[in-house]
Amino acid sequence: MKQETKLSTGQQHEQTAEAQTVKTTPQQFENVEQLLRYDAAQTPVPPEIASRLNRSVEQSPPPRRPWWRRIFGGG
Amino acid sequence: MNAPCEAPASLEAAGLRIASAELSELYTAHSRAIYYLALRFLGDPQKAEDATHDVFLKALRKFDQFRGESSARTWLYRIAINHCRNLQQTWHERHMFPNSDSPIWEQTAAGESPLRILETKELGARIQKTLDALPPEYRLLLLLVSDQELSYEQVGLLTEQSSDAVRGKLHRARKAFAALFAKSE
Repeated sequence: MKQETKLSTGQQHEQTAEAQTVKTTPQQFENVEQLLRYDAAQTPVPPEIASRLNRSVEQSPPPRRPWWRRIFGGG
Repeated sequence: MNAPCEAPASLEAAGLRIASAELSELYTAHSRAIYYLALRFLGDPQKAEDATHDVFLKALRKFDQFRGESSARTWLYRIAINHCRNLQQTWHERHMFPNSDSPIWEQTAAGESPLRILETKELGARIQKTLDALPPEYRLLLLLVSDQELSYEQVGLLTEQSSDAVRGKLHRARKAFAALFAKSE
């Protein structure tokens, strides 16, 4: 979307050579955004957050009715 | 890298049910992006967990204020950025880095080169170390721009600057990141 991802011929050769020679293929990222996107994809959200949210929502008091509704009623 | 933990594809998959349907929907669609921003911006998994929880709780409480003028992702990012910035308002963090306009960040890299790593094992730690060494403004810009759902205009709105300013600063931020990342090897 935002970044050019074209590799120069030299870079393409280098990548291919590396991929062929090393089993644990070295990662190569064209730019910082690509690297961060890869990192984000490898970073799962801890499931504890959802359970904490659940508890917080259940413990939250219901929203207070505005003063005019408390006095005059309605809604 | 951070401690591995399985991310549920949805809350239901994890056997969880969030009391509010709105929150559940928001959480399923955006929790990964918000958690990642908090994690890499704050640099601490526990703080990031707390921040993500607080952001979604705030979102639920302010849900009536969300009018759909921006995307839900942008709206959540705004809450998250404010929250993370508030957490960082300590003397130490305010004085730790030179301003991003400082020429020091111009001198750190000769150019942008592909970022190569040999192992993915330590990648998270290296990325965190590099981001921690950047001015918070650069760190935030890089994190936001790496989200493909955001345009430069949206990043500009979130960081209160024009999209041209975003592009200019982004160029310097990328160079600074690349240089620091190479040194972290």
